Amino acid sequence: MDHPAPTTANHGLKEPQKLCFETARTRRLVLGSYWTIIILAFPFWWNLTSIERIALPSYRVRAQLDRKPVFPVNVQLDASSFQGSAPTFGRALHEILAQTTQASPTWRDLDIQVGVSEHAGDQSEGPNVYSVVLGNHTAVRHPRQLVVSQEDALSALRLGSILSRLLAPEITSMQAQRIAQYTKRYRLAFTLLNENAASPHLVNSWDIQAAFAGKFSRFIYHMFPIISRLNLLHNFTIESQVQYHAPLAFEPLQFVVANNTLHGLTPEDLTVFINSAEWTLSSSVSNDPVLHFVLFVPSPALQPLHILDAHGLPTSQNAFLLPQWGGIFILNRHARAETMTHLTAADLVPVFSAFANQLSALLGVPPLPDGVKSEESSLLSDWQLDALLRYRTSENILGSQQTLYSIIKLVDQIENMPVDQTVRGDVHDALTALGEAHRSAVGSPATALQWSSEALSLASHAFFNPGMLALLYFPAEHKYAVYTPLFASVSVPLIVALGREVYGWRRERRVVRSG
Amino acid sequence: MANALGMYRTVKRLGIPDSNIILMLADDVACNTRNKFAGSVYAKAGRHMDLYGENIEVDYRGYEVTVENFIRLLTGRVDPSVPRSKRLLTDDRSNIFVYMTGHGGNEFLKFQDNEEISAFDIADAFEQMWQKKRYNEIFFMIDTCQANTMYSQFYSPNILATGSSEIEENSYSHENDNDIGVSVIDSYTHFVLEFMEGINKTSQVSMQDLFSSYDPVAIRSHAGVRSDLFQRPLDKALITDFFGGVTQAEVFPPAQEDIQTTLSVAEEMQEPETSQHVPGPQVDDYSTLEYHVPGNAPPNATYTLLSGKESEARDTQWKEVRKWTSVLLIASLVTWVSFAR
Repeated sequence: MDHPAPTTANHGLKEPQKLCFETARTRRLVLGSYWTIIILAFPFWWNLTSIERIALPSYRVRAQLDRKPVFPVNVQLDASSFQGSAPTFGRALHEILAQTTQASPTWRDLDIQVGVSEHAGDQSEGPNVYSVVLGNHTAVRHPRQLVVSQEDALSALRLGSILSRLLAPEITSMQAQRIAQYTKRYRLAFTLLNENAASPHLVNSWDIQAAFAGKFSRFIYHMFPIISRLNLLHNFTIESQVQYHAPLAFEPLQFVVANNTLHGLTPEDLTVFINSAEWTLSSSVSNDPVLHFVLFVPSPALQPLHILDAHGLPTSQNAFLLPQWGGIFILNRHARAETMTHLTAADLVPVFSAFANQLSALLGVPPLPDGVKSEESSLLSDWQLDALLRYRTSENILGSQQTLYSIIKLVDQIENMPVDQTVRGDVHDALTALGEAHRSAVGSPATALQWSSEALSLASHAFFNPGMLALLYFPAEHKYAVYTPLFASVSVPLIVALGREVYGWRRERRVVRSG
Repeated sequence: MANALGMYRTVKRLGIPDSNIILMLADDVACNTRNKFAGSVYAKAGRHMDLYGENIEVDYRGYEVTVENFIRLLTGRVDPSVPRSKRLLTDDRSNIFVYMTGHGGNEFLKFQDNEEISAFDIADAFEQMWQKKRYNEIFFMIDTCQANTMYSQFYSPNILATGSSEIEENSYSHENDNDIGVSVIDSYTHFVLEFMEGINKTSQVSMQDLFSSYDPVAIRSHAGVRSDLFQRPLDKALITDFFGGVTQAEVFPPAQEDIQTTLSVAEEMQEPETSQHVPGPQVDDYSTLEYHVPGNAPPNATYTLLSGKESEARDTQWKEVRKWTSVLLIASLVTWVSFAR
């Protein structure tokens, strides 16, 4: 005990253990506070770095997958028309219809019953009741009535095929290709395109509002009646414009027939007719899908411009359709006054009847079977509308089921995909809407469609939730690479200091005990 | 950049409207003050064709070009306020062409010099697109070093992928423009574009023809193809299925009573509007990505890209030198310390 003082004096230094901040107590406090902070921060760190994954109702989604909507359809034969043969006839029809619906993948969920009714022509029945009466010629009549001619009514086979084509129209792959995807809202963009405004053929205005409203109602194929009926399915926004310079991107074929120079568009030309690089056909103000309708006025040098068939011969058609995109009408002016610069509603009648027809094709309206006419001026009969409603409803229901299922699957599959409360809410709402759609399919197809489109938009909304973006892939070795330099250098002194402190404390206690 | 811009021009020439093309350019070389030819980007030292020119629509540029935005674009998980032109609006009948270029490595591609996208991210994004039926087929093309590793992780069906170079292999630039002092286009992209020049909107050339045209000697790397996920034979898959806006047109009778003569004009199933090509992102030097949705647009990536590539070979040597120098240095320090006692 004699030595310490001289040592201090000799070096001019203090004994480290005597420094106030080097006392065991201070040191332990410092070390302890570090560890306390680390331990307290741990839950926060854990919470902040973990991904929020709320459980989704996967059981309900899986259960929903197998459900198919059932559309009951009740066909009533008019007892007075069919006399005593009605019940047997009805049974035969039922069999035929059941067979065709079973055979078609699209219409398997149709549940067709055939009955006999005393007052089938009364028109007071519910939305799923269709009546068949005898008449002079085969036609559909408002509402949901089919008039059949004597000869069509003779064989159950014949009537059965007419009915099945009305109730369950076959959709060919060509048609399926053409039909635009279902959305609640569509924009219809009508464009009057002058190829070259510096020509006497310039058309600088068109009476589109009158043409649209179909003021010439003797022409039944008009836009307005179609749109007003399809309002059940879609909301339409309509825009129109006139353009004065619209060059074609290719040179149409030129040929001479009987001393007249004609110009022709080959089938290949039609596919590339739209010069998308230079024509602005619709505004981009909203995200709704657009269907384009183009009235093209060729420059005088190209008139008359004809559509050629596969053999290179001119056809009498002047309108064509691009699947899911819209329709084009080529207006040759040679027959009319060449200097006319305004198109009146009467001039536009053929144009708009072509557009109306194209629109119904693009939106999937099934055509009436051959030999069946419509008695009303409205282009769309209830039969067609109902078939379209059922088609779109089952399409939407299938779409929402698949979307919901893929959400569940992806969340299982991609482990760092966050799922928050809004996604779960949307999934729940979509399931509820799906349930409603199934329930209302029994009653009114229109209500079922509303619910199914609701379900589809909710399911897509859930799928596209911006919060669901999976974190970027971060392999384990990257984690080590990031964490090791950071934490190793901090944790080594902390752990070593802790170990030494514990060791020192235990030695002290031993000394105290033994001493 | 010229890589992506060249691709953009080609897709547009083949009839894909700008509305169907999403072009992501991480850098604005055309308007960079160091670019002597302001407002222009050329792919050749001869400067015959201005790729930037008139009528270009860059959808994502500069700092908008991020990995996150790219993934959001693909999966459709974008903010509701994002405009139509920045969204990939495709459905189950859409073909998508994704073209990406930039600086890459084993299973990653660099964006903006500060982040990277990995092959796993893209594969997952494609799977999500498949689940949501956002595509019919995807054609994925990538031009980076070790590009073929980028498509190795794909697992969703109907994807055809091709890349410029194998693992451990660089992909080199094709041409330098001495007036601006940078390389302007990559070799692989140059030869692909060269091939595309011979294609028009209605040509029937197949993917197989494109892949057979790859010449490892001319390209100076081994371009690869992955077709195991793709369901059609390559000689039946037309180039215009992905690069062209070829539609089916139907001559449609105006009135219902007319005979429904439908002419299907082209065999391709694309519809102009819906079919999309998403060409992908290209990364420049500054990681430009471009990606086109239906069409595709190229970025300005060429500029930096090229310069980067040239130095790559030198880089490897330099790395070796540095490695051994540091080993020597440490060894001498250790020796000195131990002998100093």
